[in-house]
Amino acid sequence: MSYKIAVIGDADTVTGFSLAGVRHVHVHVSKEETLSKLRRFLMEGDVGLLLITHRVIEDLGEDFKLLMRTKGVLPVVLAIPDKTGYAPAVDELYELIKRAVGARVTEKIGGD
Amino acid sequence: MAAPMAISPTRMELIKLRKRISLAQRGHDLLTEKMDALVIEFFEILKRVRRARADALTQLATAHRALSICLALVGTIETRQASIEARREIQLEASTRHVMGIETPALRIEGAERRVLERGYGIHFTSSALDDAAREFEKALGLLVELAELEESMRAIARELEKTKRRANALEYIIIPRLKATIKFIMMRLDEMERENFSRLKRIKAMLGAGA
Repeated sequence: MSYKIAVIGDADTVTGFSLAGVRHVHVHVSKEETLSKLRRFLMEGDVGLLLITHRVIEDLGEDFKLLMRTKGVLPVVLAIPDKTGYAPAVDELYELIKRAVGARVTEKIGGD
Repeated sequence: MAAPMAISPTRMELIKLRKRISLAQRGHDLLTEKMDALVIEFFEILKRVRRARADALTQLATAHRALSICLALVGTIETRQASIEARREIQLEASTRHVMGIETPALRIEGAERRVLERGYGIHFTSSALDDAAREFEKALGLLVELAELEESMRAIARELEKTKRRANALEYIIIPRLKATIKFIMMRLDEMERENFSRLKRIKAMLGAGA
């Protein structure tokens, strides 16, 4: 089955990905609007990949995290930097590694 | 410390508990093995994620640079206009794959990169800077699709790893010690009952001896 790609971000990111042919885009202006759009992308079921800039994620805050916890395997949501290359200081993925692996290390110490 | 469970100290319960403890032990061994396998898988995918991420982010930065040049040369309004004309239905093939019982996504994109004439905006009035920006973004999109698949798979493995770890720990530190404590309690209770019985018999024998 074929799916859509969606992009949420600032005007430049959206323009760029539109040039690449992405049809389902949303320019982040207000939190409420972006959240409702995001919900629609997640619920529709035909979006396979959602690209969203780190800055927008930060703007959405807890609401975004909640939505991520409740979604299924698809759509895959990928955070991307915007044109300034902005990425948060604490990388969510590396945080995950620390949790998954770090606790294993302590367990080894405790087990010996 | 692990408190014994509230059950009656009988031989039957003792047999049941011994069965349960060997089952728990076997479960724990299996979980530990699963964890080892997951960790190997995790580091494997971590390596690939690192590489894919570096590639994709570099390409994305290049794309943004090309877009900035385009915005400057062609103009913001014209670029936006062209970008709206360039939209199309992208064929993204998405399915789920099972890796060791974990559901991970599989993404594939068909024809991310297009030829100039396929982009949909007129090439007559536009600059080649626009073509550059579009091409770089198409490349970036292809790489980001790969990265998304890898990152999401890694997240799924990490989640599973955490879950497995929690289960193994629950068995090792709570269930098994509690079962052991209960077994010990029952054995002590049974021994105590045997001693009581023994002294009772002695006493009866003595009484019978005195009466005869």
